[in-house]
Amino acid sequence: MEGKAAYDCLEGEGTDRLLESTHQTTMKTLVKHRPQTPPVPHFIPAFALGCILIFVLGVARADETCSSPYLARIDGQEEFVYVWTLGVEGMGDGSDKLATVDVRPGSASYGKIVNSSSVPGRNEAHHGGFTDDRRQLWLAGLDTSRVFVFDVHTDPANPKLIKTIDNFAEATGGAAGPHGAYALPGRVLIPCLSNAKDKGGRTALVEYGNDGNFIATHWLPTKEDARGAADGNFADGYGYDARVLPRKNALLTSSFTGWNNYTMDFGKLTSDPEAMKHFGQTMVMWDFHARQPKKVFQVPGAPLEIRWAWGDKHNYAFTATALGSKIWLVYADDRGEWQAKEVAPISDVKGGVLPVDISLSADDKTLFVDCFGDGKCRVFDVSDAQKPKQIYEKQIGRQVNMVSQSWDGKRLYFTSSLLAHWDKQGADNEQFLRGFAWDGKELKPSFDLDFTALKLGRPHHMLFGSTKIGANRAVASK
Amino acid sequence: MRNVIVFVLSTVLAAFGADNPVSPDSDYDYVPPVPGSYSLPIVKLAGDGALFDSDGKPINLRDLTHGRITVLSFIYTRCAAGKACPYATSVLGRLHILSAEDETLAANLRLVSLSFDPEYDTPQRLAAYSECVREVKSGCEWRFTTARSRADLESILAAYGQAVDKRANLADPQGPLSHVLRVFLTDRAGRVRNIYSSGTLDPRLVLADVKTLLLEEAKLSQK
Repeated sequence: MEGKAAYDCLEGEGTDRLLESTHQTTMKTLVKHRPQTPPVPHFIPAFALGCILIFVLGVARADETCSSPYLARIDGQEEFVYVWTLGVEGMGDGSDKLATVDVRPGSASYGKIVNSSSVPGRNEAHHGGFTDDRRQLWLAGLDTSRVFVFDVHTDPANPKLIKTIDNFAEATGGAAGPHGAYALPGRVLIPCLSNAKDKGGRTALVEYGNDGNFIATHWLPTKEDARGAADGNFADGYGYDARVLPRKNALLTSSFTGWNNYTMDFGKLTSDPEAMKHFGQTMVMWDFHARQPKKVFQVPGAPLEIRWAWGDKHNYAFTATALGSKIWLVYADDRGEWQAKEVAPISDVKGGVLPVDISLSADDKTLFVDCFGDGKCRVFDVSDAQKPKQIYEKQIGRQVNMVSQSWDGKRLYFTSSLLAHWDKQGADNEQFLRGFAWDGKELKPSFDLDFTALKLGRPHHMLFGSTKIGANRAVASK
Repeated sequence: MRNVIVFVLSTVLAAFGADNPVSPDSDYDYVPPVPGSYSLPIVKLAGDGALFDSDGKPINLRDLTHGRITVLSFIYTRCAAGKACPYATSVLGRLHILSAEDETLAANLRLVSLSFDPEYDTPQRLAAYSECVREVKSGCEWRFTTARSRADLESILAAYGQAVDKRANLADPQGPLSHVLRVFLTDRAGRVRNIYSSGTLDPRLVLADVKTLLLEEAKLSQK
């Protein structure tokens, strides 16, 4: 019936003005759906409209699979890989830097560094993230708590440092160890690892506006101050990753360790029983809109990266525990209650393989798990999220840390460095960015960049850049 | 184009019907937080700029972000991306209808649709657009505005961080401009208290935020 009404709006008024604007047509249809009280959103037709438009137009889109759903997406294939790189004393200029790699197929500089932009000093360059409009790239230093903001919009091949936040701990009320930036509408969410007071693992989530102004600090719940979270007696206050499933208003956080540990020599750390007690053992589910912790999960062994599934009915996320070498699933059960459970071991190597980064394919079927301990990427079939099965493994290098995957699942990029004081020594200390093609069965090398030979440093987090930026995923995927 | 529109609308409506309730499969599958059970930090101060309203009268944006709790949506009427401007205006439309049934909202809420396409969205076009999208005559104030000049527009967009680019293909079926959806909530003192985009522009959340600000004001007045 409403379809007829909308048609009548077009035909009945008989004006070119109305026909010129599909916006007006859609609006007339949507507004005619009078909401109930309490308001019931009748926007589903708009979603389906977008879905059909995408289908009709056959828009090809790519991007990293693990980026924020609020982030403007790359149209087509990624053109550049930005690599946030730790400086090494005596190597090149010794400073942390943003290296830009050309990955445009057919380009004369394919697989080469096309830009290197250094920041002052060594800051334990670790993770970064774009603002939601993808005009800025925020890069964080775990050691100094500095945050460097690059313009990647004006000239995506040549990012420019435009701002440095160097009063992070002071501005945030004591949060320290900023660990990347996660795009939210008009702002970034910065999960932290530590605090300025005792440099332990008690930490917070911090929000900054896209223009660099501090907005708010949300401390992780602790046993003493669980802030109403269920199972708050397990809360340890530690942090690492923070990611949102918009459809469920769900913010999920994970936990690692504080400055005292991540700046310590790895051999010394592992031989110090007291220090080894100070690792995160929890994940926390939050009411995202209210920024309030709702439930604490016991996930022993330092759960690190969080990857929400993308499917419309896939209410679950994966993580891997670095010290436990396990894949964990956080999922909504039959009653809609959030639960966490271990679903698969990662290798049977005694003592574990130190899984670090994970990457979930856009179709939610394949999970890539980078294992720093033995330098292998292990690939799991996660079509049944409750029962991951390893289907493949590949020796990437003597050590491997981060993995970034294109939205179409055909290209994966790997870097080698974990932390300045945790990387392997001697010949095992390979430092690289390696590109691979994935055909669903095996990884085949496409290029290899030796960051030591290039005197760049220790490459860590990778992010995709392009001159072609479209709408955010919430729009594009509909 | 007309055939495409009719095809899309008929397909959509056949698939979902007119009164499809929110189901567990919908895109906002959660219970919104209770108004007043959370706080909305100050994001920044709302920007100012010279505007025309849909009557062609000069007005300053500052006057539309002070004195009432305001939901400000950046749009352009030629946008045909279903989850962008049309959706944002539909959410404002729902708030407008609700305000017609709620005296507190009618007296304290303002809606502003601000076009970033001033060359096309003239006051006359905005007036026609306003007529097309309003469901009720009563309710809270709902203003349709556009910048007085390109320079005015640029300064407003910069103040709000609203990215807008021309598409390479100006005949793109989704419209000639590429932009990130942005809707701003400002309090009575002209401070931005929330920013919504696709994925967070749930009308229930916006309403909860408006009521949270009203409760905040009530608490402050008691002190």
